[in-house]
Amino acid sequence: MILQRIGATLVQDVAPKLEGDYSGGHAGISGVMAVMAGEMWDKEADLLANEIARLRALLEAAGMGDDVPEAASLKISDLKATRNALSEQLIALQTRLEAADDEASRALNTQIWAHLLATSAARMPSPPAFAAAESEAT
Amino acid sequence: MPDTAVDNPTLADKFAAYAEAHIPGAGNLRVTHMNRIHGGASRETYSVDIAYEDATGPKVKGLILRRDPADSLIDTDRRVEFAAIRTAYGKANIPAPEALFLETDPGPLGAPFFVMGRIEGGTPLNPFRIEEVEPYRTEVGRDFFRHLGAIASLDIDGAPIADEIDTPEAGQCWKRELDHWASEIRTHAREPQPVAEAAIRYLAASPPPPAQKLALVHGDFRSGNFLHDGAGHICAVLDWEMAHIGDPYEDLAWATDLLWCASDQARAAGFIPWPEALAIWQEASGCTFDPQAFEWWSLFAHLKGLGIWISSARAFADGKNDDPILAWSGWFTHAAHELMLASRLAEKHGVKI
Repeated sequence: MILQRIGATLVQDVAPKLEGDYSGGHAGISGVMAVMAGEMWDKEADLLANEIARLRALLEAAGMGDDVPEAASLKISDLKATRNALSEQLIALQTRLEAADDEASRALNTQIWAHLLATSAARMPSPPAFAAAESEAT
Repeated sequence: MPDTAVDNPTLADKFAAYAEAHIPGAGNLRVTHMNRIHGGASRETYSVDIAYEDATGPKVKGLILRRDPADSLIDTDRRVEFAAIRTAYGKANIPAPEALFLETDPGPLGAPFFVMGRIEGGTPLNPFRIEEVEPYRTEVGRDFFRHLGAIASLDIDGAPIADEIDTPEAGQCWKRELDHWASEIRTHAREPQPVAEAAIRYLAASPPPPAQKLALVHGDFRSGNFLHDGAGHICAVLDWEMAHIGDPYEDLAWATDLLWCASDQARAAGFIPWPEALAIWQEASGCTFDPQAFEWWSLFAHLKGLGIWISSARAFADGKNDDPILAWSGWFTHAAHELMLASRLAEKHGVKI
């Protein structure tokens, strides 16, 4: 809510006063990003925890025991480090599955795609809500 | 804040000296207005008014100055951009700006730059608000696909662009572009990119047909990169920084990418029905629409988008460019293109959408 209000202030109050100046565009787009950051601040840890769990499950389904330790803390940076390490292993697994020509590999690859799709959808920010700042995104 | 006549006096003074030395017969040249404008985030872009005298009397002229920044949205050679504009200017009714000066020496203005004539009276169109062009959506859409096709129709033999960049084999256009953007993604990504990596493998394993012709490819032809006159016509095609020689389908697919259609998939690029758009493009370009080629290039367009947005985010994160538009595109448009790629490829791999 705080970042939402900061974003609205930048877009609706600050940016219009800077119209005609290059910094006006900066203010507007920064306002939009403040709103996006507010949305992500609330859900990022949940997204990462779910991604980590699904990645471990996919690797386990392939018979690959991952050697990635649990995140050192619940800080976003630690959760991301764990997620990224597992993602590297998923890329290697998917490359291997694509080269295999059997039903089990195709089925697991479908599960991986379902995961990638679900993750991409969950990470799609809500559309920008402020026309003034949106216009800078051209 | 009032519009400042000259928001960078030091740059304006240097530019005035340069322009006076490079406009034949010009004297007493002054910069009467200079302000940095948004758009074309790959280079610093300034709108400049100059006044001077020559043998025929006083003159005024509107210019666009494009100066290299420390880092840019897209790392391209301004010589190629300049040559692409020269290739299109005055040809096939393409409203390209006039290319005036190219300076590769960083001495005069602190960084290489080039200068174009400013096309007056045009308005940009926000790609996320295409409805703002109403009631001229159809007319602008017809112009959009006519100019897109016209660019592909230009003869590149002996054209300025052919002097500045390699011409690929018709069967290798796809590979050159895929290799380039795969490299950009792998070089600049700040975290693993499983969707992009899977897309790279998929595209490499299922190449498109050879290019029907080798053509000038604008590289970023889309809503947001042209000006319209408010009466149904496109009066300027801008942002040629990703121009190269390649397959015309690359431009067609990028111009009609879902990101630029304002959520209106029933209309090509959000403007006009697909059959009409493709008919105009075919007539103007001389190409025949091939669904197989378009399928490959439209998937590639999503991946190219990821390459651009990943590079943007990296430049901002590394502090090489402080324009927040790079951070925004590295987040919002990256997420959009990743979701598009994941949706289409997941369906091809058996996921029920």
